[in-house]
Amino acid sequence: MKHATKVLALMLAIILGLSLVACGSGSSAPAAGGGGDGVGDGDGGKLVVWALADDMKQFGERYHELTGVEVEVVVIAPADYPTKLQTAIRGNDSTVDIIMGEPQMLDEMYDYGAFADLDALGAGDYADKITDYVWELGKDDSGVQRAISYQVTPAGLYYRRDIAETVFGTSDPVEIGKLFSDYDTILETAQTLKDAGYRCFASDAEMDYFSRDEAWVIDGALNVSQGRKDYMDMVVKLYQGDLTAYCSSWSTPWYQAMGGPVPILSSDDNVWSEDFEKEHADDEKVEVFSFALPTWGTLTLRDHVGELSGKWGVCAGPHAGFGGGSFLGISELSKQKDLAWDFIKFCTLNEETADWWIEASEGDVVSLISAQEKHKDDENPVYGNQKLYAFWSEQAQYIDSSTVTRYDTAIGEAWGNAITKIKQGEATREEAINEFLDKVQSTYPDLTIDREAVLS
Amino acid sequence: MKSKSSKLTSYNRWGYFFVAPFVIVFAIFSIYPVLRTLYLSFTDLKVMGTANWLGFDNYVRVFTDKFFWRALWNTVRIWVVNIILQLGLAFLLVIVFSNLNWKIKGLQQFRIIYYLPNLIAATSIAFLFQTLLDERFGTFNILISSIYKLFGASYTPVNWLGSPNAAPYTIAVIQSWIWFGNSFLMLMASVQGISRDYFEAAAIDGANTWTIFRRITLPLINPIMMYVAITSLIGGLQMFDLPYLMITPTTGSYDNVQTVMMYLYKFGFTTGSIQTGYASAVAYALFLIILGVTIVQLKFFNKDKN
Repeated sequence: MKHATKVLALMLAIILGLSLVACGSGSSAPAAGGGGDGVGDGDGGKLVVWALADDMKQFGERYHELTGVEVEVVVIAPADYPTKLQTAIRGNDSTVDIIMGEPQMLDEMYDYGAFADLDALGAGDYADKITDYVWELGKDDSGVQRAISYQVTPAGLYYRRDIAETVFGTSDPVEIGKLFSDYDTILETAQTLKDAGYRCFASDAEMDYFSRDEAWVIDGALNVSQGRKDYMDMVVKLYQGDLTAYCSSWSTPWYQAMGGPVPILSSDDNVWSEDFEKEHADDEKVEVFSFALPTWGTLTLRDHVGELSGKWGVCAGPHAGFGGGSFLGISELSKQKDLAWDFIKFCTLNEETADWWIEASEGDVVSLISAQEKHKDDENPVYGNQKLYAFWSEQAQYIDSSTVTRYDTAIGEAWGNAITKIKQGEATREEAINEFLDKVQSTYPDLTIDREAVLS
Repeated sequence: MKSKSSKLTSYNRWGYFFVAPFVIVFAIFSIYPVLRTLYLSFTDLKVMGTANWLGFDNYVRVFTDKFFWRALWNTVRIWVVNIILQLGLAFLLVIVFSNLNWKIKGLQQFRIIYYLPNLIAATSIAFLFQTLLDERFGTFNILISSIYKLFGASYTPVNWLGSPNAAPYTIAVIQSWIWFGNSFLMLMASVQGISRDYFEAAAIDGANTWTIFRRITLPLINPIMMYVAITSLIGGLQMFDLPYLMITPTTGSYDNVQTVMMYLYKFGFTTGSIQTGYASAVAYALFLIILGVTIVQLKFFNKDKN
């Protein structure tokens, strides 16, 4: 009996041990979304892509149709992406072949060796085929090509042509662009529009994409350019001068403003007072003139303009600016680098893919120069048949990739917080900037900060 | 006698075998990360790569950084307001439901209703309250305004989530709304474990509701109160999801709601500011603080026992 008990106990322990081993091996595989070993998976093989957006699924399906190679796309939210990727790399996970990054993520990813060297696979031969700033952003500090994006994302000002005709007597993009040529002119334009019964912007943060005129950090020192300070002052004036419709970016009223009038409120309006409705019976709604968004805003507006479709135009802002963009690279740990490189070339350097994607995405702007040329005469009916490809291609040429740094997220948020405090009267300009500098120093103790220069 | 002893020793060895799977898993997934984090807290590791030994530099940085102390103050402030409301409401309900004279029916149903907020995902709660508490068009301000109008008064809307003065307390109230059902459940279970004889005897002796609560209920549920207080404190000092989801870094109130865990997250996981070594030091600093406060709490609750 005792012997039987011992045998039973031993069996139980073995089962427990085996189940643990099974659990252990199971926990590492799903990290690639059930990708398995992925190598030599039969037929044309299989690639695993860790993507930031659903776009890649369409590219993967298309690639599979044309080559027979199965592409498994695992979409991961941008906020979780770096952590998951770092964990995979620490665990020597070779199941992921293609990885992605947004511009502000790239420097960090280059540092910890996430991306394979694309030059070794012959990327250098294609340098003149991709828009300059995209190509440059894909290089690490040593100039080695690590990633390429299939998109360009310059920012532009989307404006209402009908309002422009009424107030300014013209809806020509070049002429309207002159009304947004610098921050002082923008404030004058905003006042003119307010006097005419409109609001220039839905939110006061619209010009953010254009405010990134210089890098936040240059040679290890914090750099608060005059452009950043002018932007801060302009936002405060826009807010305090009732020159916007007081919508928060990406809020429901902000989207509504794309399709027609929205309730208008000033910073001092008390919407709860008994007399509010009487006082605002005639002017409680207002139409918004413009929105500032990168290329992908073309699709955002298209989906929200409703009956105003065809009454919009796009012009240049005060500086070259851009926002977003997905960069593709090969995981340093991938065992199928040649196949992965073929997929990247398919997504970024293949003109047929570019033609297909322009149609499939209904307006995304590709980084392949030959495709931009080919589509420069394409007219977009939502924007009064404006030739947007020609416009975006030109804007993309002015973008300076050196303004993007790893510090952008943290310093940009601290700067935005300072602006909010000033405009809402919670801090003086000096107090808010001092707090901003403290925050930057706390986050990056190694940065050199010249307080007097920033406060001047 | 000798052989019996050796048999016992032999039998004991099987015990090690049985606990081995758990010990191995515990060592890999709990002890190793704890020790690894301790080691990293003394290094300058950023994201990945070489970790250089820094000594206590990271700890000096933690304890001299005003934003860490501000985050700690924010955390404590939100937790204190939350725990007062949470336990206060839970106790009130315990008094109501445990009163023998009132004989409130439907305890089962109420228990479920009170516990429901605990089952909703933090993201859903964050979105719900962001909508309800919108300064200009939120239902909450509309309701208050309607009440003011009934009395012919004018209401100045409160920016519940955007104002530095209001936001921390708003978060605290939402936290207490989520957790009061949980506290009520535990306290009520504890009260139901007390023999009815005590309450009946006290009632016969003429004790009123308050006296019964103070002299009988409260002392007898002391252990569970200690449990609720300590778990709430540990959870409270690790507060993250609600303030993180509801207040963005560019909002004016952010500096008043950034908790220690949000501060840690910034250095541990936010692109561009990842400093793993420093984040590890923040984690250990928080651990030491929680340990210290928990010891004080334990001493406080055990004071009467001693």
